[in-house]
Amino acid sequence: MGPARSLIKAKKQRTTLTLPSDSLAKAKSIARARGVNLSTVISEALSEGLQLHAAAERSEEVIALYRKAFSGFTDDEVSILDGVILEPVTRR
Amino acid sequence: MVDPASGPFLFDTSAQSWLARTNQPELLNWLRAYLSRHPVHVSAVTVLERSRGYSLLWRRAHQERRDSIESARIAYLSALGRVWALDGATAVVAGEIMSLLPNPPTEPKRSHQLAEARPERLARWRFDGMIAATALVARIPLIHNNAADFEAVRSAIERSPERFPRLGPLELIRCASLA
Repeated sequence: MGPARSLIKAKKQRTTLTLPSDSLAKAKSIARARGVNLSTVISEALSEGLQLHAAAERSEEVIALYRKAFSGFTDDEVSILDGVILEPVTRR
Repeated sequence: MVDPASGPFLFDTSAQSWLARTNQPELLNWLRAYLSRHPVHVSAVTVLERSRGYSLLWRRAHQERRDSIESARIAYLSALGRVWALDGATAVVAGEIMSLLPNPPTEPKRSHQLAEARPERLARWRFDGMIAATALVARIPLIHNNAADFEAVRSAIERSPERFPRLGPLELIRCASLA
């Protein structure tokens, strides 16, 4: 099997899903209204859901990195990280 | 309450760290919702201030603490988001702001036995002007935790609109009002 053919095969795959009846009814209704097949509506909805999931994962990754970037520092040290350069006061 | 979907927003240096350290669930949820839609936008000046901060802390630290400071720096750099360059247009606007407001509106910061030197305060004030200019040129609101400085910049721009053609107003959002 050539690379182009395997790519085509990877794009679509037949499967059997068990879906909530009301969601399925809504999806069929949308498909009828748009004049597309049920697979198109369900694959679009799945794609949007997966994008949201990926976005939520990215969000958690950034928050975890932020926690690491700013934890373990005193308030004065965070001031220095914020560009407020504090030095010991010299008495005359 | 600010709708996270209405972003993107430019995050001032101290606003970014304040949000990153908050334990308030509503603010954390706001940050989650924002990050699921937009990257954090910062000025290159913020990256400069932060990098200098990590470097200074690393130099001041004992050997045994240096690894943890370096790990924190790498974590910060791994989550930079969208960095706005200090380009020609931003430099022109920042120059106008610095000319309008040559002196900082507040005194140098103090903390216990520590104090900010006057030259450092002036440099930080100029950096704030560059960050405000970045928000103006990018036409995105600035999230800040420093009302005294940025409100002074906003007011000065409003008093001299002829010096900022087709720009402004500077939209400011306080960290505490996000959620």
